[in-house]
Amino acid sequence: MSDSTLKVDFQKRQQLERILGAGHLNYCYQCGACVGDCPTARFHPEFNPRTIMLQSLLGDLDELLAENSLIWYCSNCYNCYERCPQDVRPVEVIIALKNLCVAEGTAAEEIQPVMERILATGRSVPVMPAVNRMRDDMGLPPIAELDTDELREILKPDDEA
Amino acid sequence: MKLAFFPGCLIPVKYPYMEVAIRKTLPRLGIEIVDLEGLTCCPDPIHFKAADNLGWLVAATRNLCIAEEAGLDIFTICSGCTETLSEAIHMLKENPELKEQVNRRLARIGREYKGKVKVRHIVTILRDDVGVEKIKATVTRPLDKVMVAIHYGCHLLKPSDFMQVDDPDDPHVMDHLIQAIGGTTCRHQEWYLCCGRACQSQELREQMTNSVLDSVREMEADCMGMICPTCFSSFDLGQVLLARKLKGKADAPKMVPPVYYFQLLGLAQGLTPKEVGLNRHKIKLITVLEKIGLAEPV
Repeated sequence: MSDSTLKVDFQKRQQLERILGAGHLNYCYQCGACVGDCPTARFHPEFNPRTIMLQSLLGDLDELLAENSLIWYCSNCYNCYERCPQDVRPVEVIIALKNLCVAEGTAAEEIQPVMERILATGRSVPVMPAVNRMRDDMGLPPIAELDTDELREILKPDDEA
Repeated sequence: MKLAFFPGCLIPVKYPYMEVAIRKTLPRLGIEIVDLEGLTCCPDPIHFKAADNLGWLVAATRNLCIAEEAGLDIFTICSGCTETLSEAIHMLKENPELKEQVNRRLARIGREYKGKVKVRHIVTILRDDVGVEKIKATVTRPLDKVMVAIHYGCHLLKPSDFMQVDDPDDPHVMDHLIQAIGGTTCRHQEWYLCCGRACQSQELREQMTNSVLDSVREMEADCMGMICPTCFSSFDLGQVLLARKLKGKADAPKMVPPVYYFQLLGLAQGLTPKEVGLNRHKIKLITVLEKIGLAEPV
């Protein structure tokens, strides 16, 4: 067999497919419907959801999971989910890849602070003093402080509870 | 009609005037707003889901349980919250093993998801339950001659198999709701384009936001009709920041003010510009207010 033989790293591919959302990856028949309607591909032609699905099918994940991976350019618009004739849900596969990046410490820098804020305050947006003044002016009660004990408890992984 | 209110994070914490508009306009349409205790971030479908998809589903399901325990369906006012909660329901319904796994987590806090609660974006309630005629009956100051360029954003409509709001290729829900308050609507060329806010690239965000704005300017609309608070941030503060970058260049484009639908509804129902917080916008709605006989808010 020549060096051009297609190789599939099934171990890596299965690692990805086990993550919630990536389970339909192997329905992909590489038609490219996802590309035609992808706003990121329109403005950044190196970003190609069909290619990302192909790399995922081959278990060729190193580039996708590296720091500054192109997957973080995804706009999360769900057009590919809407268009895919095979119900692959490409955006969900990309999100599963992001989950792997977070586990490997190569995620985009915006991710971790938002996660920490939600765990600490129950909200994704920071509450500034100015907002409570604005709410008061408009006759709204101040932003309530949330108890996040329940949230922390249910977010412990299955094997740690 | 009694419904559990899911306010989310972005609107109460950054755009309280949208929350005020919701709280002041809905009772006039016969909707009783019930505030529930214990709701958290939906959680957000961009960052939280990217970090831990299963955790995202579990936290979303906890929010669903709170409404289910109260025996109420949920109404949402943010497209991102709608997407998260609708997708959670969809995932749990199509995969009973996953539902069991999620319920094992929820059992730690004494909760259980049964699958009875419905989640609906408020525009579908206005269209399907309240109806256009009832909205018209509450209008005391119709938005005559006001041209609204609608920008739906992504998550209100897609994916349609579980969002079930409107046809994402030919949506009309916003047209009907704006026409009900006397306004005129138009579909700009890039009506389908994402605002770009979730791209982890400033350049891509700016390219998408700019393309939408260039397209809206072609329409000579008085405002952009928004339903998504994330899009609103791209086109309000985002537009100002983009204009600053262009400052000094020969043909700096004119600004198009974005406005949340329920603020327009409030104006049409007779609320003052200040009562719906138009004075808090970065880009003021000058021609809209002129056309309905109100001075610019100070």
